[in-house]
Amino acid sequence: MDFRLFCTLALNGIAMGVVYAMLAMGLILLIRAVGVMNFAQGDLLMFGAYVTSSLILDFELPLYLMIPVSFICFVVIGLVFMFTIYWPLRKASYPAATIIATMGASIILKELATLIWGALPRSLPPIITDANGKPGILYIGGIPLQWQYVLTIIVGAILIFLIHMLFEKLYVGKMMQAACQDSYAANLMGVPAIATISATYIIVVCLASVGGFMIAPIYMVRNTLGTLQLRAFAGVVIGGFGNIKGAIIGSLIVGLVEVFSTVFLSGYKDVTVFMLIILFLLIRPQGLFGGKIADKA
Amino acid sequence: MIKIHNLHSYYGAIEALKGIGLWVRSGKITCLIGSNGAGKTTLLKSISGAVDCKGSIKYNDSTELIGRSSQKIARLNITHVPEGRHIFPGLTVKENLEVGTINWHGFFGRMPYQKEMEEVFELFPRLKERENQLGWSLSGGEQQMLAIGRALMSRPRVLMLDEPSMGLAPVIVSELFEKITEINRQGTTILLVEQNARLAMKVSDYTYVIDHGRIVLEGESLEVRKDPRVIKSYLGKFAKSHR
Repeated sequence: MDFRLFCTLALNGIAMGVVYAMLAMGLILLIRAVGVMNFAQGDLLMFGAYVTSSLILDFELPLYLMIPVSFICFVVIGLVFMFTIYWPLRKASYPAATIIATMGASIILKELATLIWGALPRSLPPIITDANGKPGILYIGGIPLQWQYVLTIIVGAILIFLIHMLFEKLYVGKMMQAACQDSYAANLMGVPAIATISATYIIVVCLASVGGFMIAPIYMVRNTLGTLQLRAFAGVVIGGFGNIKGAIIGSLIVGLVEVFSTVFLSGYKDVTVFMLIILFLLIRPQGLFGGKIADKA
Repeated sequence: MIKIHNLHSYYGAIEALKGIGLWVRSGKITCLIGSNGAGKTTLLKSISGAVDCKGSIKYNDSTELIGRSSQKIARLNITHVPEGRHIFPGLTVKENLEVGTINWHGFFGRMPYQKEMEEVFELFPRLKERENQLGWSLSGGEQQMLAIGRALMSRPRVLMLDEPSMGLAPVIVSELFEKITEINRQGTTILLVEQNARLAMKVSDYTYVIDHGRIVLEGESLEVRKDPRVIKSYLGKFAKSHR
């Protein structure tokens, strides 16, 4: 393999890994905040990709208008998602109810997208194009890199960093962490559960939808984008369940393994990803990183 | 401060409290003793809005607490330190204390809380030393100090302590109870739930004895300590020699 091919593949792998990491981070935030494994995460990504593509293609909004409008849409989607899928079921006597509801949400989102935008895939132009409307290429030292992948990495990294800062540095973030770690005590202290949970859902939808928007020009916008969730799930397992740093690194590994395996075993890229999960579950079931919270001996 | 009248509390269909009457006296330490499963914790949870209940819990003779959410009750500066401490394991000591301010600070507030934190560190210098350590890594006694410190950050007018002595070495327990009386001397009303009946009655002004969801005995702590039924059931036969 020559060096140029290696660099291109590595870039693609990291870009996909960043998108998986955004999904994985959302998965963990929800598990920690409300104890729900969200099976509609990938479909939220799909829906976000449709919403943004619709704003660009149907409403023909320029990028500087499209970003705030789509953000408002994500907030609304997040709140609707929470108040329909989670809130009415949170005190159900059957705790799996909230998890099963997300499976239903996955079907609803897929069908809704098909009803609104049709079954045919839509193509979204890349954010940066060259003079002929082809995807823009960035040359570094003679190595061609697609701008869309570079931007995906930059946007994803900024978003993940901002959310990290929100949780670690801001007062609100600490309250949200407290509610995640011990909802009973947080409730007794007076942390407003509805606010922390809504904020978490909004963040999760933003993460997934921005991911969807960034990869839309690469994958086309179609209602099967939801299957990307499985890669994010693999990242979560590899990183150690519940650990955000681990999930990000795990997702990057999944992205890289996936891309490089297409070169060597073209038809078997899914097989390699899931082989990786099985290997991890066999050899290191706790994942790469132990939890931040350990049991004290 | 808090007057409870004919309180019934339920866990689903099970009635855990069967008509409790209790008065938390302003500026005093009121203690509630009783055996396991008698309903002590349930009573505190009823006051802080964490279980379903019927009856009446009046705060300052006017505000009815039943039907309010835990969050609204916390905003009235009634603070509950739950059994088993429930500190936030993945937050540092400092961050745990910050969470305590939420009831008056508000989600997006910008009020300073340095003064409260200094006071907590003054009361529990050990927490100052452990300032940047994560909650889970503290010892049991330090975790209990942190739980009480976190409650003090909420500017409590009524502080409800659930089994503060649980699982702690005797020397730590007596240190902790000194701090509790000190908090009370500074003007905070305290409702103390304890299994360690001897200690609880020693520090408190007024005692209630609860059994099977009913108050079976009440009175000045000095009097209740001498009651033969209390000595027999809760203090044991060596009670006299230890008094």
